[in-house]
Amino acid sequence: MDVSDLKKNAKLEIDGAPWVVTDFQFVKPGKGQGLYKCKIKNMLTGSVVDRTWRSGEKLVAANVESKKMQYLFSSPDAFTFMDNDTYEQIELPVDVVGHDKYFLLDNIECDVLIYNERPVGVSLPSHIIMEVTECEPGVKGDTATNVTKAATVQTGKQVQVPLFIKQGERIKIDTRTGEYVERVNK
Amino acid sequence: MTRARSLADRVQAWDRALQAVRSHFRGQGLHEVLTPVRLPAVAIEPYIEPVRADGGLLATSPELPMKQLLCGGAPDVFQVAPVHRAAESGRLHAEGFHLIEWYRRDVDERAMQADVEALIETTFDAFARPAPGPWTRHGFLALLRETTGVVLRGDEDAAMLLDAVPAAWRVDVPETMPASARTLYAWSALLTSWSDVALDPWLAAQGGGVHIVDYPPPLAALAQVGPARLGAGEAAHRFESYVGGIELSNGYHELRDPAEQRRRFAAVAALRAGHDLLPLPEPTAFLAALEQPGLPACAGAALGFERLLMLACGATELSAIALG
Repeated sequence: MDVSDLKKNAKLEIDGAPWVVTDFQFVKPGKGQGLYKCKIKNMLTGSVVDRTWRSGEKLVAANVESKKMQYLFSSPDAFTFMDNDTYEQIELPVDVVGHDKYFLLDNIECDVLIYNERPVGVSLPSHIIMEVTECEPGVKGDTATNVTKAATVQTGKQVQVPLFIKQGERIKIDTRTGEYVERVNK
Repeated sequence: MTRARSLADRVQAWDRALQAVRSHFRGQGLHEVLTPVRLPAVAIEPYIEPVRADGGLLATSPELPMKQLLCGGAPDVFQVAPVHRAAESGRLHAEGFHLIEWYRRDVDERAMQADVEALIETTFDAFARPAPGPWTRHGFLALLRETTGVVLRGDEDAAMLLDAVPAAWRVDVPETMPASARTLYAWSALLTSWSDVALDPWLAAQGGGVHIVDYPPPLAALAQVGPARLGAGEAAHRFESYVGGIELSNGYHELRDPAEQRRRFAAVAALRAGHDLLPLPEPTAFLAALEQPGLPACAGAALGFERLLMLACGATELSAIALG
């Protein structure tokens, strides 16, 4: 691929590893070469680096495909998913799943990213609804959201919530930031 | 933080800026023209890619058709021209935009710098915004030295240039290119590296407007080469103007020598071939007009309309004022 095809979320192969473009900026000095200033994330290790390419340079697109899969269960070493089409089961090592493990609700459907036939990550829905399993008692009548308390949800994840949230209630969480979004009624 | 503007507000802002630009040039005796958008050929540039249009090319600039008007005997002219440059898209770039382009006979690029300042002032006035100032002038090589410590004379060929620059700036210049293309490539790469690491941050820190003048001869583009205006030796009579670190304008004391123009187009074409960029047709009608009847002594400049409007509105990205 040509550098002019770069954009956010483009997937590149660099030194045998898959990288995803997380931030992208095009600049061009008067009559000079265009510069594509990117932040890229290694899809295997999660490390983020700055890279700048010049117009005219060639890149290799990473052969990353995503497959719809259902999360089944976990062991201490791995998370097991099932391909919705073939019912084939695959295991993702704990370190590949990383912090996304806190969003893996039983039977949740998500996109598993496959690089050269090897699972390298999970792409979650942007928001997930989870139940609060533990938190201090709710403060009645206080609906301000700028004061928060710690709560634990069913996957063991800790999240800051407004004071009015009660144990057993369901809340919406942004999977990109890990932050509380709103209370879900019923 | 840019205030969100309604489409109605944006249309009013465009109309006000267009009116300011037109009354500015008319007040100075220039004539407004319109030249075709689809052309058989455009100026062959190393890093400006035209959009192909059914056997022709969309104008990347109105430069060649406007110079052909001057060759034919037209008086001083200006236009606000729609232009397209493929694969340019970002906070300060859009594939389709408008260039304010104007030509004056019997003056050189120094008069165009004064024009740039006055045009910006008129437009800012129309938006009741204080015009940027004061303006300063900096020679290309002196500013390179001041901001990086790199000392160059301006006449280095590719090998000499690569020896003189920091290791991180070195590029592989394809051996297959002819010498003139190699030199152009090395100087273009130097400009790109310098902009990236030192020039852009320096420009962004300047309070007023900045003209960079006296370009090294390999970066002359379509400008004459002659005695440097600020330093010693030879320099291209080309300038670029910046406000708040944003490039607004590029101007030349126009090259009139058809043989030299052909050589420069050929060097760029060889550079493009070495980069595997699509070959561009030679602008034969323009070259023929340079031969006969010839281009009168003149200077020209181009200034990005949307960027000017953006700054006049106090916005920081083109999307804040875009109509599309």
